[in-house]
Amino acid sequence: MFRRSWRHAAAAAAVLLALSSVTACGDDPSDSEDLSENRAGAMENYTAGTQFKATEPLSFSVLYNNHPNYPLKEDWLFWTELKSRTNVSLDKVAVPLSDYNQKRSLLIGAGDAPLLIPKTYPPDVHAYVSSGAILPVSDYLDLMPNFKDKIEKWNLKAEIDTLRQQDGKYYLLPGLHEKPWHEYSLAVRTDILEELNLQVPKTWDEVYTMLKAMKAAYPDVYPFSDRFSQPNPAGNLLNMLAASYGLEGAGWNFQHVTWNAQAQQFEYTGATEQYKQMLQYLNKLVAEKLLDPESFTQTDDLARQKLANSKSFVISSNAQTLVNDYRPDLAATNPKAKITKIPLPIGPAGEINPASRLENGMMISSKARESKNFVAMMQFVDWLWYSDAGQEFAKWGVEGTTFVKDAAGKPTLAPDVDMIGLNPGAPKHLQKDFGFGNGVFSYGGKPELVQGFFSPEEQEFQQVMNARAPKTVPPPYPLNDEEREQVSLWETPLKDHVYQATLQFVLGQRDFAEWDAYVAELKSKNMDAYLEMVNGAHKRFQEKN
Amino acid sequence: MVTVDTAERPTESTPRPRRRGIQETRGYRVFRVVNGIVLTLVVMVTLYPFVNIVARSLSDEAYIIAGQVNLVPRGFTLDTYQLLMSDPLFWTNYRNTVFYTVTATVISIVMTTCYAYVLSKKQLKGRGMLVGIAVFTMFFTGGLIPNYVLVTSLGLKNSVWAIALPNAINVFNLLVMKAFFESLPTELEEAAAVDGLNTYGILLRIVLPLSKAIVATMVLFYAVAFWNSWFAAFLYMDRQELWPVTVYLRNLIAGATGAENVGSITEANEVQAEATLKAVTIVLTTLPILLVYPFVQRYFVRGIMLGAVKG
Repeated sequence: MFRRSWRHAAAAAAVLLALSSVTACGDDPSDSEDLSENRAGAMENYTAGTQFKATEPLSFSVLYNNHPNYPLKEDWLFWTELKSRTNVSLDKVAVPLSDYNQKRSLLIGAGDAPLLIPKTYPPDVHAYVSSGAILPVSDYLDLMPNFKDKIEKWNLKAEIDTLRQQDGKYYLLPGLHEKPWHEYSLAVRTDILEELNLQVPKTWDEVYTMLKAMKAAYPDVYPFSDRFSQPNPAGNLLNMLAASYGLEGAGWNFQHVTWNAQAQQFEYTGATEQYKQMLQYLNKLVAEKLLDPESFTQTDDLARQKLANSKSFVISSNAQTLVNDYRPDLAATNPKAKITKIPLPIGPAGEINPASRLENGMMISSKARESKNFVAMMQFVDWLWYSDAGQEFAKWGVEGTTFVKDAAGKPTLAPDVDMIGLNPGAPKHLQKDFGFGNGVFSYGGKPELVQGFFSPEEQEFQQVMNARAPKTVPPPYPLNDEEREQVSLWETPLKDHVYQATLQFVLGQRDFAEWDAYVAELKSKNMDAYLEMVNGAHKRFQEKN
Repeated sequence: MVTVDTAERPTESTPRPRRRGIQETRGYRVFRVVNGIVLTLVVMVTLYPFVNIVARSLSDEAYIIAGQVNLVPRGFTLDTYQLLMSDPLFWTNYRNTVFYTVTATVISIVMTTCYAYVLSKKQLKGRGMLVGIAVFTMFFTGGLIPNYVLVTSLGLKNSVWAIALPNAINVFNLLVMKAFFESLPTELEEAAAVDGLNTYGILLRIVLPLSKAIVATMVLFYAVAFWNSWFAAFLYMDRQELWPVTVYLRNLIAGATGAENVGSITEANEVQAEATLKAVTIVLTTLPILLVYPFVQRYFVRGIMLGAVKG
């Protein structure tokens, strides 16, 4: 009901706008450009590299994602130092991390949202655009020199284009990474590799031979038993494989369409030849009892138990699960065991780094535009989230207090400050006691900054991954409201069917001879209409821009 | 719990008079043994998960991961309890939970009793409509956002009223209570009226003292519901020091399991506690209610049965 009434309101507003622009004979400078009323507190000559400081004390409301590991404290150095550097204080609406998205939707829907809404992932934005409650930030980039500078310097235009909505604007200020940051790969028991005289596998084919050798030595064991299967079966494994086979994403990052650069059009991911090949690969692993069939359904805890009890040797991992889960588990059950995260195995798509260079970012309430401090707020956002100085401040804190720099300018934590066990036993904690390294304010940046707290081991992993080519970014295909509604009706049955068939093919319950029948089933679930809509939107966008 | 209790009741109360006079038949003794076994099994099945949770909450993480914890804690440790209880916010939020539960339960009991008593009077004009208004809300709700806008514009946000008032009357409880009041003999009230009591006097001095069972049941229903609830507090409380402990623990688990939290980095020792954390959470939040239960339980079954059968 609510959404519909909003849509009516939006439609009415659109008609009004259209009428007013007709009466104003079209190419009037839109009122979004007239900011003379909104400059209170703003700096006159704010450019990239300038330290932002509001000319009068300002306060902005912000939705605060309260992380239980470092619950919000009013006496954090972060707030006082932010105030003294920028003359801005933040008025926090604290939301538990567990249900952040729900509260965000509620507040935006009720028109009660704070001005700054951080921690928003790109796909989440679509739902809010038509309500008009979110500011089209792309109209105001001139107020954000650091943001513009980074997009240009780091060549992020293609990525940014994927954020564009049907009106050609975008509504999210994303986190920007200079280099893609890929976290997930396979963790492998290296002591077993040594025992069997095996090399660390570089490709998925070598993974297969490695598993085969493990199986030969330990016939009672499924060498590979995976986790991350809830809510989607083999969420991470399917996604890694999809990337390696040149697809946009599968598993927990299921993407309905993949861009085919040769045909210059989008294809349905679950119906591509690559998807079939990837399922055949998995089916081979299952059929030869190398991959535990329970991998697709079991809980993470169960998968961990199997690894800890040497009932499996290979499992999906990121940097944290390796250090926080697998190593302590194994240390308790089998002190001789060694486990390591291997570089992402390479597939037919070659040496690519599949991670996106955009991260979660910030939406701004459209009511901020009315504020007399609007310009100052945009400058503040630009400084804190996108300037080198602001990013360093948000992550490392204050030089001499929370961190020190060596001669080359490389920051390290002050000896009495701890963070992820870098200074074990230190009396203070960077996040809990100072409020820095906070996920709300600190993300993205240069690789040196992103990897600041990484262990040498993880930095090595990142070095290997960074040497690979970033994935090519598919062109944008912004849908309009009706299309999006239609598409979302088609998406669920399609996705369910792909998941179901994926399991059937992989587990051998369905023969690959039936692949064409499966594609026909997808067609009966409106796959072609879906693709037509997406490709149509893509063409429309290209013609317009 | 309800089904177990009601099943147990007849077997306990019926044999007693028989045992004295008539000798028990063989069949009856067999029945008693079988019955005892079945009920013991039921008790074990119901109790096992809880004992297991308690054992997990006291065990070392490594044993849980290895799947070795059943009924007895292994590698006894109180680390997770300490971790939780050393946080002042935990205690602040626990105090909030107690405060919210008590306040909201008192308000709910007063409101529900008043409404139910009025509805139980058959001679009341417009009674059907009043019942209808209440029942209507069982089928149709205003929806999340209108509710939020209403509560916010009434200025209730960030106060206990946002939790207590919108949920003050639970229609199911209201109907149970109404049925109970209807079952009270009208002659009593007529006699009281003849003796000079006004409406309020009748309610306070005659009806309520006779309704201890149903009131105790309602207190239990409401208190448990408010104790466990987190959603209203999550919606209307914008500061963490106002959250009840349920929101605190829910957030803690979300932080430890980390699905929402790809970008930031968690502490090794805190993630260590993940496996025990859920167990500790369950123990800490259910314990107080469990302690209250035995004292109210004898009213509990009687209260709801009385209402149900005669209604």
